[in-house]
Amino acid sequence: MFAKESGLLQGTVELLILKALSWGPIHGYGIASWIESATDDVLSVEEGSLYPALYRMARKGWIKAQWGVTENNRRAKYYHLTAEGRRQFRDQTSGWQRFAGAVTQAITTRAIPSWAK
Amino acid sequence: MTRRDFRIVPPKPQAEIDDELRFHLEERVQAYIASGMSPDDARKKALERLGDVASVRDECAALLTEDRRAEARRDWFGDLAQDLHFALRSAVRAPAFTLAAIVTLALGIGANAAVFGVVKSVLLDRLPYADAGRLMRIYCPYRTGFTERGALSAGTVSDIRERQHSFASLGAFLPQRDAIYASSDVPQVMKSMFIEPELLRTLGVTPARGRTFADDDGNRDTTTVVLISYGAWQRVFGDDANVVGKVIRLNSIPRTIIGVLPRDFLPPEGTPDFYLPLSIKPMMRDPISVRGSHNLGFVGRLKPGATVEGARHELARIGAELERLYAKDNLGIGLDGMSLRDAMVGDTRTPLLVLLASAGLVLLITCANLAGALVSRTISRRKEFAIRVALGAGRGRLVRQLLTESVLLALAGCIAGLALAMIGLGLLRGLALSSLPAYANLSLDRGAVFVTATLALITGLAFGAGPALSVGRADPQDTLREQTHGASESRRTRRARGVLVAGQIALCVSLLAGAGLLVRSLIAMTTAPLGFNPGKLLTFTVQLPNAKYGTVAARVQAYDELARRIRGLPGVAGAANVSQLPTTISNNNGLFIRDKPWAPNEPVPFILTSRVSDNLFATLGIPLDQGRTFTTADRDSAPPTIIINEAMAHRYWPNGNAVGAQIHIGPPDPTEPWITVVGVVGNVRNDPTHLTPEPTMYLSLRQSPSADAFVVRAAGSIDPLSLLTSVRRAISSFDPTIPVYKVATMESVLGDAFAPRRLPVVLMTAFGALALLLASVGVYAMFANMAAAREREFGVRVALGSSRGAIVRLVLRQGGGWMVLGLAVGAFGVMMAARLVRTQLFGVAPFDPLAIGGAVLALIACAGVALLVPVQRASRVDPITVLR
Repeated sequence: MFAKESGLLQGTVELLILKALSWGPIHGYGIASWIESATDDVLSVEEGSLYPALYRMARKGWIKAQWGVTENNRRAKYYHLTAEGRRQFRDQTSGWQRFAGAVTQAITTRAIPSWAK
Repeated sequence: MTRRDFRIVPPKPQAEIDDELRFHLEERVQAYIASGMSPDDARKKALERLGDVASVRDECAALLTEDRRAEARRDWFGDLAQDLHFALRSAVRAPAFTLAAIVTLALGIGANAAVFGVVKSVLLDRLPYADAGRLMRIYCPYRTGFTERGALSAGTVSDIRERQHSFASLGAFLPQRDAIYASSDVPQVMKSMFIEPELLRTLGVTPARGRTFADDDGNRDTTTVVLISYGAWQRVFGDDANVVGKVIRLNSIPRTIIGVLPRDFLPPEGTPDFYLPLSIKPMMRDPISVRGSHNLGFVGRLKPGATVEGARHELARIGAELERLYAKDNLGIGLDGMSLRDAMVGDTRTPLLVLLASAGLVLLITCANLAGALVSRTISRRKEFAIRVALGAGRGRLVRQLLTESVLLALAGCIAGLALAMIGLGLLRGLALSSLPAYANLSLDRGAVFVTATLALITGLAFGAGPALSVGRADPQDTLREQTHGASESRRTRRARGVLVAGQIALCVSLLAGAGLLVRSLIAMTTAPLGFNPGKLLTFTVQLPNAKYGTVAARVQAYDELARRIRGLPGVAGAANVSQLPTTISNNNGLFIRDKPWAPNEPVPFILTSRVSDNLFATLGIPLDQGRTFTTADRDSAPPTIIINEAMAHRYWPNGNAVGAQIHIGPPDPTEPWITVVGVVGNVRNDPTHLTPEPTMYLSLRQSPSADAFVVRAAGSIDPLSLLTSVRRAISSFDPTIPVYKVATMESVLGDAFAPRRLPVVLMTAFGALALLLASVGVYAMFANMAAAREREFGVRVALGSSRGAIVRLVLRQGGGWMVLGLAVGAFGVMMAARLVRTQLFGVAPFDPLAIGGAVLALIACAGVALLVPVQRASRVDPITVLR
């Protein structure tokens, strides 16, 4: 539903990753699965594009990676939020809500503009 | 402990990403299989879901690599900050060591920076001319060995111009001379120089203001235009922007200033204030002086493609031709050239290189000393390092830490050293400017600072490397298990220290021997009798205005009257006048002896010539050996007479029959009478830095009246300078228009003659003393460490019945061996030093036993004092305290 290279998609993916990690450290596969189920498959992004987003966020210092072991005793790279990441999550969530609310309000309004009367 | 010390080396970015993606795929496949798909479908679906794997991999790898690099940079700076912080802390914890290290380094680096500043400004800085490398100075070497750098005659200058093919342009000049500049009312004595207009063009110099000379400016009978130096413009004319066009009176003749030369301009010799245009045409018209008076300097600019060697060959060929054509004047005189820089550097090159070598030796000693100190400091910190290694610090990290510490010390030493160098150059400026080429401005320029900073850095890394490597080898377990209380130096570090001390001793004894030889030479020069009594003499020069004193009679009468009035002053024991003060005679004349013509291939000897008043010999205390001195009878109208010195009498009349002999100055001329030798006087060394007196002849001022330099001997205990006021009054009572200048005592005139010799001696002695101090510190440190390290062992020995004398012998045997080795190696160094300073020595053999023995004894004495304390401490070891 979003163009693949659009900044909107990238920003959205980052916000979703921040949300996923706000529950606690998890690996890339876990993040992808969570997005899938949390958005009822509406945002079934190409899973590959998740990883560049993760590395970019790591560079920005929002998240950090560490190798760990899964419940099934497999090596996996776990990501967790940094303090900066948590701050970003708060700011971006409220920003997104204002943005989405404004767009929703605009496209659902019943007030007819003056030039359409 | 920091996080980094435990870090496992991370895998390559590519591999890490592959791992991560593989995990993702496998999990996804598992999930699909769990939901009932066949493994093949699950695999296909999972890959599809992931998208373009290759581009994801590449993108992630690029991001991760960049990330890693940024982190490495952050870590590197983090480590550096940590190292620096630690280095500062450990420097503060050992203040004595730190201070000693910085002071030692400052001395070594300061000496080097100062000397390099001098060397660079003299030997490396560019001359104030365009493309100066193409400029050559042309000289007349004398086959008699009288001088290698004789001046040229006008005829020779003109002939070279006609015959040469090597030079694009050539310019001649006359030596700088005094000129009277009359500003408002006070006549000032300044320096002027006659230069050909072509000289400025040859040097590639254009005036900073106004115009240069036109080619015919020198052709008028009286030159009416003048160029002024930048210095004169500032000093005399106060930066006057309208100075060009101004008319000034120079030597009582009005002349127009046509231009100001650039700030950095200097002629090939001298430092004149005024430049007057010269033409050799009038000289060419005078049949006697055209080839008879050799007084021109000559500079040429090589044509493109011409070489210095080629030009020298051509000059030698022209010289041989002129010698054949004009044997009367040119016999024994050749032609040669050298690069203008070499000509301007003159005799200062060798002493400067000797100094540079000495300063380098001091720096080597400094480094050896510091390396030794750092080695023993590292040993005392061994436990600290062992603990750090045991806790996980990498060896590389420790080495880096040590290098940081020593570079930090080196930089601190460098800054202190530069400060010292600036002070030193300030001192040198006062001491040395007269003995260095005029273009050298002694400053610590960017080049000198750069070289010094590099030296400091290399020093830091060099003396940091040894201890750092020894840390790299240490085994932390052994070190920690060892009772560090009594840990002794390992054999290896003991040997390293020994070698360092031996090296210091070798370098130090070489330097001391060189300094000793120079000191002995200077003493020999200054204490050898000059041939007259220079004490209590006031000297000054007058200038009799030509307009008033144009005739021989008028001049002789004026000299007589001036001397008579001065002699009558209270406190004056004697007064006489002479053309050039003893030790500063520069006038030479060709000698021809009646009935003993020179063989055709025998060069005509040139003899120092001075014109004197009747009582000069009595006033100076020069003894009369044979015949008589001058009297009032030696008038202008009387037969010409001459007095010669012993050296001349001995050389040309070895049978002792000089008195009565007849000679001629310049080639015999039937229209001129022969001159009769009437007396032989004692030798006066004209060059006080040479011990052999030169042949000299004296003419009477009554027959050759040009004797403007006065010598006045003060009576009793009177200070000769205190006579100056009454002398000035006496002169102005005779004629107030006669200027008095160049006032000095004879002793300070002699001091000026010695100044170029004194400079390297003073500096090298200072370096020798510095080296001695540093080497003593090194010896002290070696014995102190050795004694401290073996304290327990000595305790045991004493407890077992060893005598204190035996302990002392033990310490001395261990350290003494290295000192003897140092002295043995130093013997080679002494030989090198003697060879290096040989050309600077006068009256001393290069292997003067007193100088070399003195150097060795001084070193042994200082080392002895240095080892006294540690050896004494070793002998007082109390077995009970040590073994408890």
